[in-house]
Amino acid sequence: MVRIELAWLDWSIVVLYFAAIIGIGLYLKKFTKTGEDFFLAGRKNSSWVAGLAFLSANLGALEILGWTGGTMKYGMFVSHFYWVGAIPAMIFLGLYMMPFYYSSKIHSVPGYLKLRFDEKTRLLNAVSFAVMTLLMSGINLYLMALVFNVLLGWNWHASMWASAAAIACYITLGGLMSAIFTEIVQFFLIWFGLFLVSIMGIIEFGGVANVMEGLPATMTSLWATAGSPDENAMGVTWLGLAMGLGFVLSFGYWTTDFLVVQRAFSSKDLRSARLTPITASFFKMALPFIVVVAGLVALKLVGNPDSGFALPVDPVTGEKNYDAALPLLILRYYPTGLVGLGITALLAGFMAGQAGNVSAFNTVWTYDIYRAVINPKASDTHLVWMGRMTTIVGILLSVVTAYVAMQFNTIMDYIQAIFSWVNAPLFATFLLGMFWKRTTANGAFWGLLAGMIVSFSIFMGFRLDAIGPGLAKFLTLTEHPSDMTRNLWQASWAWITTFVLTIGISLFTTPRPDAELIGLVKGLTAEPDDSRVAWFRRPVFWAILSGIVLIALNVWFW
Amino acid sequence: MAEFNHENGAREAEPLPIWFFVGVILLVFGVLVLAGDFVGERRPTVLAETRPGLWWGAIMLVAGVIFTALGLVGRHKG
Repeated sequence: MVRIELAWLDWSIVVLYFAAIIGIGLYLKKFTKTGEDFFLAGRKNSSWVAGLAFLSANLGALEILGWTGGTMKYGMFVSHFYWVGAIPAMIFLGLYMMPFYYSSKIHSVPGYLKLRFDEKTRLLNAVSFAVMTLLMSGINLYLMALVFNVLLGWNWHASMWASAAAIACYITLGGLMSAIFTEIVQFFLIWFGLFLVSIMGIIEFGGVANVMEGLPATMTSLWATAGSPDENAMGVTWLGLAMGLGFVLSFGYWTTDFLVVQRAFSSKDLRSARLTPITASFFKMALPFIVVVAGLVALKLVGNPDSGFALPVDPVTGEKNYDAALPLLILRYYPTGLVGLGITALLAGFMAGQAGNVSAFNTVWTYDIYRAVINPKASDTHLVWMGRMTTIVGILLSVVTAYVAMQFNTIMDYIQAIFSWVNAPLFATFLLGMFWKRTTANGAFWGLLAGMIVSFSIFMGFRLDAIGPGLAKFLTLTEHPSDMTRNLWQASWAWITTFVLTIGISLFTTPRPDAELIGLVKGLTAEPDDSRVAWFRRPVFWAILSGIVLIALNVWFW
Repeated sequence: MAEFNHENGAREAEPLPIWFFVGVILLVFGVLVLAGDFVGERRPTVLAETRPGLWWGAIMLVAGVIFTALGLVGRHKG
């Protein structure tokens, strides 16, 4: 088993990181007085700050470890999750959806559902989001402790409680502002701490071309082997990638998940809010240069017995531990000092993801559940107090979830699918709500609920082996779908169900008058006017540039 | 960064820009990584002869100085 020994210099970096984030929280407390300060970071951020935080809220260490190992299994197909599986949705959010979100001055994504539809739709989304966020937060905590226990020999309980206490401390003190500050610090630590792995790998092989040389086409192409599930290691087709990942899952996550969208709400004006996801899109596209390049380097090294590089194998199941690929590369290339930086980058990735979940949870609980249902007359000061208390309670619940996950490992399988239960149908609700004024509150509520049920039912059907080959072929276009294919298609079915049912029910129920929908629906809302802004400062300019880079990357690695 | 408050005629305090904190952290960590190349315990690593701690630490240090300066300039502009 891999075991990284930290020297005193490495420990100094880890300890200084903890001191820095708690110090930032203490420093920011005096600037966090109102609800706007605590839950929306004062709405003062530039698109650079909000954009980097937007990306970092999604950029967890789990994802980096998982997809580096995933590249060893699936090759460059992993890049789809960073390119077609993210960029179009981020551009769409910035150009078309952000004007409705930002201009309605809401505190949260469920808040829009209240304004556009009604209280029950908001509550359905708020409760499902809160549960999802706590689960994610707890699982994140559990996996962090697992990774550090396996790689560094750190004590489980100490790892969990120390990081939970640090996060509780700085979020309680500075709210979203603290979360955003630490997310941006994390962004730089991940680049400085992990990009060097790819650089050293390229140096060892003498160039990118040499890294790719000799690898099968399934590992080095993006679309050329997406014609049939049998042609690629991921077992998916171009249709599954484009529809399931590129449209439903991606748009569902990036345009409606409050964890990331909350960062855009903290922008100082509408133009900055629109630029937030577009700015983030450039950095998102760059991430495969860490993750995929490192994965391909590891794959190449494993193929050469003389390299001395081998993945650890589970003595019980005999399965290779692909998640160890990145830490093994750190161990291979990094001397003392850099090892501490690499471990701190992973630690920061875990903690920032955790903090993102907690700051989103405290806002949704405070505004969409507590104030909406329990105490509608609560003062601003009371809401800030509630936000702080919710942070502590949320962290404690995350720790409890982490202990549950430790006892029942199967909970992890559910987490993989959770986005397709919550976000995929929600995207259909938002799409219709924002772009079709005829959508009614009952149509939205029942359509959303049905989509969530369909997604969950398909998941359980496969899990309990209740879906035979015939139905599987109908649902996923293949009789024996991989987990990835199931996930993509159950999200697609959830989206279709919500979309069709919402339209159907809306046509038979009474819509709200146009006057009540101004500012919430396209066609009844003034379009953002950028005519007085220089062309190079306009969101549409950067969106087009982002789109061009995306197309170029896909063509280049076709 | 400070904004004029028309109600009490005072300048409201604003936090230091995030770039300042990023700069200080990169600077300090850059120094520690750099120090690792000179005084750290020697661990056998691949490509050790390229001295990654030396040049990567130096890059971090320079980046740290730039971001710290950016943060301080942003602070005084307000």
